[in-house]
Amino acid sequence: MNQVNNKNKPVFSLKDINLFYGDFQAIKNITMDINYNEVTAFIGPSGCGKSTFIRILNRMNDLITTCKVTGEVLYEDKNAYDKNFDVIELRSKVGMVFQKPNPFPMSIYDNIAYGPRCQGIKDKEALDTIVENALKKAALWDEVADRLKKSAMSLSGGQQQRLCIARTIAMEPEVILMDEPTSALDPIATQKIEDLIIELKQDFTIVIVTHNMQQAARISDKTAFFLLGELVEMDDTNKIFNHPKHEKTEQYITGRFG
Amino acid sequence: MKTNRKLRDNLSKTFVYALGSVGLLILGMIIFYVVSTGITLVRWETIIGDSRTISTDIYLDDGAGSYILTDEIDENIIYSEIWGIGLVNATNKAGYPIIEIAYIHPESPLVRPFDRNTVDENGVHPQVDLKVGTAIEKALFNNNTIISLARDQASGMVAKLNQATSITSMSVQIVGGGIRGSIIATLYTIVFTLILAIPIGVSTAVYFNEIATTSWFSKAIKNMVDMLTGVPSIVYGMLGAAIFVPLLNNTIQTQGGSILSGSLTMVVILLPTIIKSTEEALKIIPNELRQGSLALGANQTQTIFKVVLPNATPGILTGVLLGIGRIMGESAALIFAVGAAISDNIILSERATTLAVHIWVIMGGDSPNFELAAAIAIIILSVVFVINLIVKIIAKRLQKNMNWS
Repeated sequence: MNQVNNKNKPVFSLKDINLFYGDFQAIKNITMDINYNEVTAFIGPSGCGKSTFIRILNRMNDLITTCKVTGEVLYEDKNAYDKNFDVIELRSKVGMVFQKPNPFPMSIYDNIAYGPRCQGIKDKEALDTIVENALKKAALWDEVADRLKKSAMSLSGGQQQRLCIARTIAMEPEVILMDEPTSALDPIATQKIEDLIIELKQDFTIVIVTHNMQQAARISDKTAFFLLGELVEMDDTNKIFNHPKHEKTEQYITGRFG
Repeated sequence: MKTNRKLRDNLSKTFVYALGSVGLLILGMIIFYVVSTGITLVRWETIIGDSRTISTDIYLDDGAGSYILTDEIDENIIYSEIWGIGLVNATNKAGYPIIEIAYIHPESPLVRPFDRNTVDENGVHPQVDLKVGTAIEKALFNNNTIISLARDQASGMVAKLNQATSITSMSVQIVGGGIRGSIIATLYTIVFTLILAIPIGVSTAVYFNEIATTSWFSKAIKNMVDMLTGVPSIVYGMLGAAIFVPLLNNTIQTQGGSILSGSLTMVVILLPTIIKSTEEALKIIPNELRQGSLALGANQTQTIFKVVLPNATPGILTGVLLGIGRIMGESAALIFAVGAAISDNIILSERATTLAVHIWVIMGGDSPNFELAAAIAIIILSVVFVINLIVKIIAKRLQKNMNWS
């Protein structure tokens, strides 16, 4: 949450990233910077590697045993793939919201308090404050304030997704990764999440993978277009959508393929 | 063609119905036989009673009183109002005529007389529970001045009882046939088995499902666990007799089989079941939950203990309940590992019988006791039935809980 002073500085600096699933190369030679307090959108057709790429940032790909990453991933100037780098620490600083809302089958309160509790925070009052602030920031407080002890499963899909965002916010991360966060939601719930993302930009760096080009145009500052594991083009969102440099980008955003 | 097809349809239907009803009939007959044979013995006295028949002499400190009959009793029973006891002529198992106590007034001193032949740690004769069905062989009243023997028959003994002012001594045979010991032994076996089997089984399943990477080795182990569920339990019994019994004999000085060695054997028998059901429970937990936890900066242990295992609990519980059913029904392995000595005084390091083995013991020998065996079978069946019911309810709950978004 370093605002202003970090403007236009990269939180993530990636260089020559290649990723392999066994013999298959899913990411080819990608270099990019992701700046503080910006919304960066990854767009591209299915299977282009954008979801795989976002998982490099919090090392979620570690869970896949056949997956191998080469290149340099600098998070706040430290190599995130270094042997001595603490991946648990990375994930508590780089939160992630998934495609399908995945609240834990426990109470709303416990869902939000889960991350802080795992960090060892046990004080009831501290947790209460964290939960309240996170829910307020995720614009969910008014809807659930009177039923914090109820199961998170009783919420609607859109509420569940905002709960997952609140859960991530409770960790006070630097970066929030969102992997197609609205693809399982209806238009109204999507609208709410988009409003929320614009709101959250004040405090967090956001990286969002989306299938929906209008969504990328509406909420992002930078847009990166992926195709077949390669980064075709990355620039200010205005430029990408109005004056794309690359022919493939233009074809994709005008809907000629994808 | 059309009639042919219809004919074939009817034929195969008849076939299915006929065989189906044969199956139902057989199962129904078994249940009917067990219930009709054993139901009269499914009584509180059987459940809490001693197994062993005790021959002893009893006496009373109290004198005669007046115990007016309030209950309805059989007309064959001859009642002594001053002692509150009703006797009847009967024959024992060997066919000899005996005098049997058929009714005891609830306020009569004869409900709890003193046992002349035993002495407790304070040097006094303990009280024993006299119950209906006890045979009286000889009775001495008024300081040995009145003697009544079995040949007096019930009427003669009651006549002498009515003249008596004190009961000096009465030789009785308090009949056994209770299963309290076996019930306690079964409970002990269940508790000790589960204490060991749950942590070991759940940890093994968690290791293979959550921690170990898939390799030919872990696959081989998993297949072996599957295979172990099919091994006949008598093989495990041999293992128990060959390993656990000597092990306990040498370490904690047990003599031969014991409840402890039986429990250890049952642990081995239950492990595959518990591992399997835990694995099934872990498999249906969506990966999104694990990823959600890890993405929040939780480590693997926290993910397992805070997210994975709590959600797997219903599935694990199902395995545990099925395991309890297995312990209750197990006989072959436990005959080897616990020994087949019916006991009323259950000590963990000594021989005993579980309910199923109790059936095996009383059905052996020259005069198999069908009634008691059926009564025990009814008790086992009821418990297993209730367990299955709970398992079904849990399984339903589980399905409901996991259906999110």
